[in-house]
Amino acid sequence: MELGTLVALILTLAIFSFLYRENPFYRFAEYLLVGISVGYYLVIICRNTLYPMVIDRIFIRGELLAIVPVILGLLMFARLSRKWAYLSRLPLALMIGFGAGISIPAMLQARIMKQMSASMLPLTSINGIIILIGVISTILYFYFSKKQEGFYGNITRLGTYFLMIFFGATFGYTVMSRVSLLIGRLEFILRDAIGIVS
Amino acid sequence: MDLTRLDKRWIYLLLLLAVGIPLLVKVKLPVRLTAETEKVFEAVETVDSTGFVMISFDIEASSLPEVRPIAEALLKHLFRRDQRVIGLALFPEGTAIGYDLISSIANEYGKKYGEDFIYLGFRPQYVSAILQMGEDIRSVYPLDYLNNDWTMTGPFSGVRNYDDIELVISVADGSLPTYWVEYAGARHGQRIATGLTAVMATSYYPYTESGQLVGLIGGLKGAAEYEQLLGYVGGGQRGMLAQSSGHILIIALVLLVNLVAVRRRR
Repeated sequence: MELGTLVALILTLAIFSFLYRENPFYRFAEYLLVGISVGYYLVIICRNTLYPMVIDRIFIRGELLAIVPVILGLLMFARLSRKWAYLSRLPLALMIGFGAGISIPAMLQARIMKQMSASMLPLTSINGIIILIGVISTILYFYFSKKQEGFYGNITRLGTYFLMIFFGATFGYTVMSRVSLLIGRLEFILRDAIGIVS
Repeated sequence: MDLTRLDKRWIYLLLLLAVGIPLLVKVKLPVRLTAETEKVFEAVETVDSTGFVMISFDIEASSLPEVRPIAEALLKHLFRRDQRVIGLALFPEGTAIGYDLISSIANEYGKKYGEDFIYLGFRPQYVSAILQMGEDIRSVYPLDYLNNDWTMTGPFSGVRNYDDIELVISVADGSLPTYWVEYAGARHGQRIATGLTAVMATSYYPYTESGQLVGLIGGLKGAAEYEQLLGYVGGGQRGMLAQSSGHILIIALVLLVNLVAVRRRR
């Protein structure tokens, strides 16, 4: 068995041991994951971002304009000092302004306008009718300025049934997802580590 | 026996057996194809033979057992069709995973780095990265993952922005496909497909219905479907028996507990 496979097997079993009860092996594996993740992120950021976007651009290609975002990025650290903390507002304001300006129209178009037009199907098909009833009753359920009783209450209750179908489907997919992860780990143990499955 | 007082470790053991035993049995279950997976397959099939396809590994290591079969099936399909592939990652954890996956499948098909595929690596701020690639990919990735200047020579040097890319595929375990739809799809008109974990699939069916995604491969079942379309048995199809028996156990437990609850109320 390769060293990497052996380490992965031991760590998998250490994590699985939590299912029996909390124990030092599980905690060791958990802390190891946290530590390795931080170290890995740091290396990736340095290698894949700082080197090509800062060092390569400024010092090798001589693109001096790249100093501007570097200075803005460094200003974020001004928050660590009470005296200079106000300087960090500049990059923050830029980020918030950029974020809002970019995301609001994009979200409106992709998540609302396109989705609305996709729900407006011809009522000649059963799917079109179901979608129409589902959309209206579900939206009405989230309208809280009118008491949900009588005929209106029946419509909003129908909305909750549509929501429950969605929750059920999501739960089913979640179960599928979690079982898939277990399959992946068990397949690793049985095939790659122990070798009893070809 | 009072089921409400049952030690939950018995359930863990049952699930371990229900999933583990089928993995020892070599039985291939028939897989019913869904329209969403077929649409992804067709989208790849319709890419021009000289066209470029971008595949983004927007994943973390914890979801690898589920997304690996999806990524492998997609890459096999792309390399089988001699498509030129540009790999990248918008999550740090997906960076090395993506490189390993793309390199190993490329190696299987005798593809060469720089000629048939390149890997651009990771960039932070995925919104900015996706948006900026619509203008100029070189400004986002002046160097590739191996710190080579990919913009100077080779077939990939002509790729400037989404206009030169026929299809973007986001292999994801989170909400990254939404950002691809919003910033590459809605803004730049880029065709986008996704392969993602099952837990995320329900959130993305509306996007396939609206045409914002050309299709989606959902979880291990989706991977099994794609493998069937490609005609090979991979991690998806191998896991289907275990997946089904795990589901049957959970359905049985849910029914049993509900029956006990109804009886106790009476």
